[in-house]
Amino acid sequence: MNAYLGIDVGSISTKGVIIDNENHILASSYIWTQGNPMEAVKTLIHNLEKQIDKKKVHIIGVGTTGSARKLIGTMLNANIIKNEITAHAIGTLSLYPDVKTIFEIGGQDSKIILIEDGIVVDYAMNTLCAAGTGAFLSSQASRLGVKVEDFGRIALTSKKPTKIAARCTVFAESDLVHKAQMGYQKEDIIAGLCKSVVSNYLNNVGKGKKIKAPIIFQGGVSKNIGVKKAFEEEVGCEVIVDPNGHLMGALGVAILAKNSPIKTNFQFSITDNNFETKGIECNKCSNHCEIICVSRNKKLIDAWGNRCSNGDIMNR
Amino acid sequence: MNKITIGLPKALLYYKYGDLWMTFFEELDCDVIISPNTNRKILEDGIKLSMDESCMAMKVYMGHIYYLIDKCDYILVPRLKCIKKHEKLCTNFSALYDLVNNVFDKNLIHYNIDVEKKEDEFYAFTTMGLSLGFPYRKIVSAYKIAKEREKMLKQRRIDKQKTILATSSKIKILLAGHPYNIYDEYIGKPVEKVLENNNIEIIYSDLYDDKYLEKEVVKISSQNYWTYNKEIMAAIIHYQDIVDGIILITSFPCGPDSLSNEMILRKVKIPITNLVIDETNSDTGILTRIESFIDILEERRKTK
Repeated sequence: MNAYLGIDVGSISTKGVIIDNENHILASSYIWTQGNPMEAVKTLIHNLEKQIDKKKVHIIGVGTTGSARKLIGTMLNANIIKNEITAHAIGTLSLYPDVKTIFEIGGQDSKIILIEDGIVVDYAMNTLCAAGTGAFLSSQASRLGVKVEDFGRIALTSKKPTKIAARCTVFAESDLVHKAQMGYQKEDIIAGLCKSVVSNYLNNVGKGKKIKAPIIFQGGVSKNIGVKKAFEEEVGCEVIVDPNGHLMGALGVAILAKNSPIKTNFQFSITDNNFETKGIECNKCSNHCEIICVSRNKKLIDAWGNRCSNGDIMNR
Repeated sequence: MNKITIGLPKALLYYKYGDLWMTFFEELDCDVIISPNTNRKILEDGIKLSMDESCMAMKVYMGHIYYLIDKCDYILVPRLKCIKKHEKLCTNFSALYDLVNNVFDKNLIHYNIDVEKKEDEFYAFTTMGLSLGFPYRKIVSAYKIAKEREKMLKQRRIDKQKTILATSSKIKILLAGHPYNIYDEYIGKPVEKVLENNNIEIIYSDLYDDKYLEKEVVKISSQNYWTYNKEIMAAIIHYQDIVDGIILITSFPCGPDSLSNEMILRKVKIPITNLVIDETNSDTGILTRIESFIDILEERRKTK
């Protein structure tokens, strides 16, 4: 049976799926990136390998997405490397063909994708600030002495969410400390934080966008039921969170790999190779570009980061 | 008399009047030195010499002045207050001369335009020429030649773009914004490179015949008084029916753009995305945005 591997390497987590020709998920894995995308992907591939019968399943397409898509795409010799917006849209559309709006809040970024008749027509990403993303929520959770996983459940117990100034992470944090010192209940503060994440999102990323149902909410923060509820109150309709929501990017890029005319012959043993990256500073002109060199078993396989041809290490 | 060397910083208004200035000084038999394309050193020097609140294009400009400082006798730093009656330019353009003068100890040439005080471009060129000690008649003839050459060069570029628009079947994206942003190596060029790598035909908003400017600009706003922003708006209206999408480039934190971009984004009927570039940007964020924008345009073409 032919199968396709899709990997989504984000700043916080790394996700992977193997799908068959009908887009059914045969294997999936979700692990932390921990600042080392190459090692994370090796672990991820081992996890996926254990879930399938290698005698029957042959992977003939590999796609990568997420912020480390290029690095991991080079490492795995992927036949498609795609940005996360398109990948998320394709993955979501394969499960929800009618979807009109995708909310996505990840570890470091948040985006909105608008879809009409099955094609992406508009999108936006957070620009200068990461307030209201997963990283912000986990730092606030640890400040309050609560596990981030329990955040949503605790938020639901609140009857009167506290108002938190959420325009900026720095203000939100000081406001949160202030509210705690004033004696507000912990669950009210947590619920207030969930609400502020939503209003921040809708006022920044969602500003000026026509939000239409059905709405799918995904990314790590979608696992927080408090934020989901706050979204529903704010937009006035149901917000769907798929149990596989975190895999949408990986699924999307696996589908793209399936549809790509180029095919590869992927071997799980690729992880036995020794991959290394090295940053070197090019001193050929006053730009001093930092060039990233990727090598497999000490052999250079790709390099990027140069602004001009002086730093074109590959074609020298 | 020894030849005078004039320095032209390749930033801000150079991208609008560079041909004009250069021809003028060459006609007067001056040596002209132009700073190179922005590189990291120029950008870093510029950041050090600027206030935090300056826009990125201004920071880049200061870096270019620093580059030229020991390489020429004079540097041309224009002071432009108003170039069209009842309209305005960003206040930075009227402050530029004094800003540079305060930061650097260097001979700057006076070049002032404020048409509301009857100081037009011709006035700017004559006072500039006279202050350098050239005879009036020579200045006037040099200005005329420069003006004609400027017109000819611009027309040639517009014609070239027209041919591309008529013949290319590739996906076309209008790069809209101030020329000093679009063409700067560290502001607009990274965007241009991504588009080129993705086989996109790039159309430029400054290559626009402003004959119909007033007629076209009202389709976005009839009350906009920023001269340079009006040019961008008119070009967007002019090209929006013949390109697939528009990328609006702004350098952070531009005052006039913050107003006019809002109006543009609300009125334009085709896919448009606004990229705000600052000096702390990494190319990665830009890459993701542009790539997904191109994906949208490709899908739209397929369904048409």
